[in-house]
Amino acid sequence: MLWHIVKRELFEQVNSLRFALAMLLIVFLMLVNAVGHIDEYKTRQAEYGQQVSAYSARLEGNSNNLYKLVLNGPGELHKKPSPLSFCAHGSENNLPKFASGGRAGWGIGSVSGIWRLKYSGFPSIKAKDIFPVFLKIDWILIISNVLSFLALVFTFDAISGEVEHGTLRLTLSNSIARRTVLTGKFLSCLMSLGAVFMSGVLVNLLLLYLSGTLQLNAQEWSRIGGVFVVGLIYIAVFIALGFLISTLANNASTSLVILLLIWVIWVILVPSMLGTIMSGLNQPSIRRGPSPVYFSRSGLRERYIARGLEDAAPTRKRPPTPATLLWAEFLNEEAREGARLHRAYLNAQVNQIQIAREVNRISPTAIAQYAVESLAGTGFQRHLNFLKNAERYAEEFNDFLISADRADPDSLHVPFVREGMSDKPVSFESIPKFQDRVRLGDAFKGAMLDVTLLLLFFTVLFAAAHVSFQRKEI
Amino acid sequence: MLWTLIQREILANLMTFRFPIAVIACVILGLTITAALTDNYERRLASYNEAFQTHQEKNFSAKTYSGLTLQLDRPPNPLSLFNQGLDKRAANSVRLHRDKVPSVWEDNYFSTGFDNPFRHLLTSIDIVTVFQILLSLLALVFAYDAIAGERENGTLHLILANPVGRGLIVLSKYLSAMICLMLPVLIGFLLALMLQLQSSVIDYSTVDFLRIGGILLTTIVYVSAFYLIGLLISCISRRTATSLISSMFIWVVLTFIYPNASLFMVNHFIETEEKIEQADREISQIMEGFQREKAKLKDPFAPPFLLKGRWGGGSISKDVVRVEAESELEIPTVKAYYQELEPQRLRAVAAAWLVRKQAYSETFVHRSTSARNALRLSPAGLYYLATAAYAGTDLAAMEAFFKAVRQYRQTILDYFYDKKAFSSRQWFASDKGAVRWDDLPRFSYQALKGLAADSSRASGELLRLLLLNLVLLIVAIVVFSRQEV
Repeated sequence: MLWHIVKRELFEQVNSLRFALAMLLIVFLMLVNAVGHIDEYKTRQAEYGQQVSAYSARLEGNSNNLYKLVLNGPGELHKKPSPLSFCAHGSENNLPKFASGGRAGWGIGSVSGIWRLKYSGFPSIKAKDIFPVFLKIDWILIISNVLSFLALVFTFDAISGEVEHGTLRLTLSNSIARRTVLTGKFLSCLMSLGAVFMSGVLVNLLLLYLSGTLQLNAQEWSRIGGVFVVGLIYIAVFIALGFLISTLANNASTSLVILLLIWVIWVILVPSMLGTIMSGLNQPSIRRGPSPVYFSRSGLRERYIARGLEDAAPTRKRPPTPATLLWAEFLNEEAREGARLHRAYLNAQVNQIQIAREVNRISPTAIAQYAVESLAGTGFQRHLNFLKNAERYAEEFNDFLISADRADPDSLHVPFVREGMSDKPVSFESIPKFQDRVRLGDAFKGAMLDVTLLLLFFTVLFAAAHVSFQRKEI
Repeated sequence: MLWTLIQREILANLMTFRFPIAVIACVILGLTITAALTDNYERRLASYNEAFQTHQEKNFSAKTYSGLTLQLDRPPNPLSLFNQGLDKRAANSVRLHRDKVPSVWEDNYFSTGFDNPFRHLLTSIDIVTVFQILLSLLALVFAYDAIAGERENGTLHLILANPVGRGLIVLSKYLSAMICLMLPVLIGFLLALMLQLQSSVIDYSTVDFLRIGGILLTTIVYVSAFYLIGLLISCISRRTATSLISSMFIWVVLTFIYPNASLFMVNHFIETEEKIEQADREISQIMEGFQREKAKLKDPFAPPFLLKGRWGGGSISKDVVRVEAESELEIPTVKAYYQELEPQRLRAVAAAWLVRKQAYSETFVHRSTSARNALRLSPAGLYYLATAAYAGTDLAAMEAFFKAVRQYRQTILDYFYDKKAFSSRQWFASDKGAVRWDDLPRFSYQALKGLAADSSRASGELLRLLLLNLVLLIVAIVVFSRQEV
């Protein structure tokens, strides 16, 4: 019986004007998306390749002296661009493309601070980059704004329209349970919208494939599959909402008007307004990034001066003099403190955005966006993961420096003071290289919470639609 | 007769549920977004004040003429609350130096300590965006059943049985709905304005109120345009359901899909990089030419040093604080060097600027003009462009700031020529007393003074919007008159 209803409804949907319009709209937008992506991705990929080879060259240049590596660090660590940025651009243009592991920027006498990781590198904002003023057309925009709108247009008269025409009475006069009717209608809506979505996706992928931009491995295909599923769940949320309002309203027009107002507020206004409001209420607690001279502000230097730091310079004498050991201790502690302050400043900034994102989750649009961004490997969460990768690498790099120093018999083995360390070349091959990776586990784990929330939204709305349909007088 | 019809329509409109919903939506959304934006503006103003103070102290601290470097700040525009335009994107602080001509395309927007750079991840919207989406939707919701509904109910037959012209009926529908739509618009707008005036830092002048009046007027014309679109669709459609669905599709295309897609396309199809690279090559040739000329002259500050003494400064600014007595004789040679070099440098910089300006006008300016033209095809785009011009946050207003900066740069150069600064000892040395900058006029820029220019740009867009209204009204009347009921 269920399939009977589904078939009947599906036939009606597919033959309607709105189905044709919806198809046209989605396919057009997907084409626009593909055309835009082809160019952008090639440029970005070439840029990334250049940056990585510059990084290698710099590392190789520094490898002729171990201490130079200690002083200059590994250089800029670049974020790997996601091949799936056409699913969600994730405002990558407004995020740093690298974390820089470079000089500390201070020196006392002959001693200089050792390298550390810094999180700056935000792209500068220039008027020439202002376009597009509005939004970028990516999958998530098409899903969250256009498909949700279409879901409402498809469902607003599902119940109220049939009530008006009296056809619902006819249907119910057969021996069918009401929930079967509703489920059948729901399934047919989901299938027809799914077909629209699917054709858009196929056109998009086909165009990308033909242009040669789409060279994905199995992992990335599974992520695209994830994005498609998130899209379907999101559409289902709005279909359920449409059924709920359609059941409650007395006629089709009222139902559409109410639905559209909910849509405007929930989909368009809430995600953009709440962010502004929350980030205004919750200012970062640290206003300035640490300056190169912070070691004097924190009192660290004074403490060491009291212990006689600046009375004697480090020397190459063997066994290491107390002055050499003290300098080494100071340098290590200063580097740790510096890294900590940079991290604290970053955390203060990240916090402000995190809270705004948490609050934004009252809108399914924001939830779907975050989920798709996690799957596509772009956006805020991905950036934080990248920074974690960079931090892990920083530790690895330091471990390497110590072990390379141990291997040199002429060294005093007092890292990281110049006089206490090896100044021999190290083999370039043995230096650990930074490789940014997106793990499939990370992507799905990041999307998990959001998908659960979306499912929750769907369950609540669908249950409410069922209950109100059961209790409706016809 | 018209009045009777209008009265009937107003009553009918006010009694529907959509009227209170419209009022509530306008008030709540208008107030929340204004509160958030006012807070944001206060922060930006605080940042600006801090930056201005710091720069004020540093700006005229140079002791020699050649050391003069200024940092000029663009204050945030309070009207960006209505339409933020480029206010948060175009450069807000410009470094002014004789070595480079500043341009709106190249200088940066600086996020200061009060600004979290991650904040750009959150989309920020303004009052005009909220109205643009919300009011167009409300207008269509008021319009979709205006004719189609009466036709369905059969009341249209009844009305036409009276001796009323069909044009009159359309007109009365239009006027009454506009009166009803005006209420939520005005309430929302005025409450938002009042909330802004509560803030201690927002202090609107008469000129600002004129601009706000312009924005309000544009809003009303915009609402009217969408109402007429809905009315036209309602005339054509047989059934209200069809009318509603077509209105909604047209709405989503006009306010959302078309502006986004067209800008996306403009951005994609207008190449900029190649021309800019070519210009860069030309500029580096010009600068190389200058460097060759410079190499012909003997730099007194390069080994073997002509002067014996102590000095600071960089490659193009010098500050000699002490000259050994035996070098005193060489001072005229140094003066002659700079008198020869500096005008050449300025000529090279001016030539480079001409090349850059040309390249910009072929790329970025061209792109933004195309984007403007593309946006003009949608009423939502026209609304955006007109309000940005009224608010003084569009590209031309930002350009005006840079024009003022460039003029000021010219003032400084003229001042140098007047003072014969290049051939003076104070060009490179402060040992005989630092330069006093008292008689150099200070930079002043009133962003909101250019009302005439801004409103003439805005009224162009407003006129287009009005024309659209007129055409839609006439078409609606004609279509309705020729239709069988």
